[in-house]
Amino acid sequence: MHPACRVRQEGFGLLFYDSRGPRLLFAETGNLLPSDFYSVRRGRDEFPAGLTTGQQQALGKFINQLLEKGFLREQ
Amino acid sequence: MSNKYVEQGLSAPVNLTWEVSLACNLRCSHCLSSSGEPAKGEMTTAEALDLVEQLHQSRVFQINFGGGEPFMRPDFEEILAACHSRGIMTCISTNGTMLDAERVARLAASRLVAIQVSMDGARRETCDAIRGHGVFDKAIAAVKLLAASIIPTSINTVLTGQNADEIPAMHELAQSLGVSLRVSRFRPSGRGADNWETLRPTPAQLLAFSDWLAKSGDVRTGDSFFSLTSQERQGLGLNLCGAAKLTCCVGPTGNMYPCAFLQTDRFKAGSLREQSFREIWDNSEIYESFRSLRIHSCEACNRFDQCHGGCPAVAWHLKNDINGGDPECLERCVTSIADSNKTAKAA
Repeated sequence: MHPACRVRQEGFGLLFYDSRGPRLLFAETGNLLPSDFYSVRRGRDEFPAGLTTGQQQALGKFINQLLEKGFLREQ
Repeated sequence: MSNKYVEQGLSAPVNLTWEVSLACNLRCSHCLSSSGEPAKGEMTTAEALDLVEQLHQSRVFQINFGGGEPFMRPDFEEILAACHSRGIMTCISTNGTMLDAERVARLAASRLVAIQVSMDGARRETCDAIRGHGVFDKAIAAVKLLAASIIPTSINTVLTGQNADEIPAMHELAQSLGVSLRVSRFRPSGRGADNWETLRPTPAQLLAFSDWLAKSGDVRTGDSFFSLTSQERQGLGLNLCGAAKLTCCVGPTGNMYPCAFLQTDRFKAGSLREQSFREIWDNSEIYESFRSLRIHSCEACNRFDQCHGGCPAVAWHLKNDINGGDPECLERCVTSIADSNKTAKAA
């Protein structure tokens, strides 16, 4: 997670906040992705346990979106 | 559309305005809270630190500190440190007169703070007429100190009839100092209500500012919940008052309100001395009334999608009716100018 960004769980999924804009991102992820999943360094293809292939593909696309928007940093 | 999620209700505000003290070393004529002397029974250090922990538990992302002058509180840096140690981002609205190099260095070390320095004119005389003799020079000195640090800094200007013509010059001043400009709306609360007729911008000035703002991409405006450029506002997809939905206000004595401009008993959502932050956020009838507020009288307006009825605080202070739509909205400015022209022609 970029140091200027924060995330928390909401009823619809995850709410991301970027203080640089500021910007908000409302992500309808439900409970698929725990809000603290990216509080530690993760591999690009590392997903929470128990997801189906389809869910992993959807999550992969979403993670690319987070990288593009600057919420996540690739190192 | 982001409004959908906001209207469903969030588990906590995204950010929160915390007026930590009414104490202020200035007596600005437009002050939204009539600051000067501290309020009776302001929160103690222990109460303030407990609130920080509650906000952390609720996962509030950012606290916007205001007042009064926040640095008038001797424990203010302790409160800031408690926020930063929990990863809460902060933004401080200050008059700049109590900043020195040592304090700026301490604040910069957190890397979690942004600062807005209030200035109300590009000319010394204009600014000092509103904020007091000698304040312009002190604020400029503070902005220079901050601009030389890593702290994201902006100059915050309240648009009044007196400084409306100087806003482009304020923009140039901010750029020359290496900081950004944020222009806030003047609202009739606190001393701003006492001096409303003297300081309010005319409809023509408001329209001219709106036109200029549309062409000045990097200038932010102080919405009730965010400081945003017009482009950022479109990108965010939010176009409604954020009070009690995305943001709320904590007053100096621990009372909670929908926003900083509605700090009256009528809009008191609860007291942190009687209930927890979460209890008030989740259960306050005042907050619920703001979450379900629909300005039906504005729905036929062609600008409705852009403002959803505007600022309820202005509607309340000018018309005693939060349901009535913003009496100072751009559409009404256009109508007001057209009416004046008709009257002038008829005469």
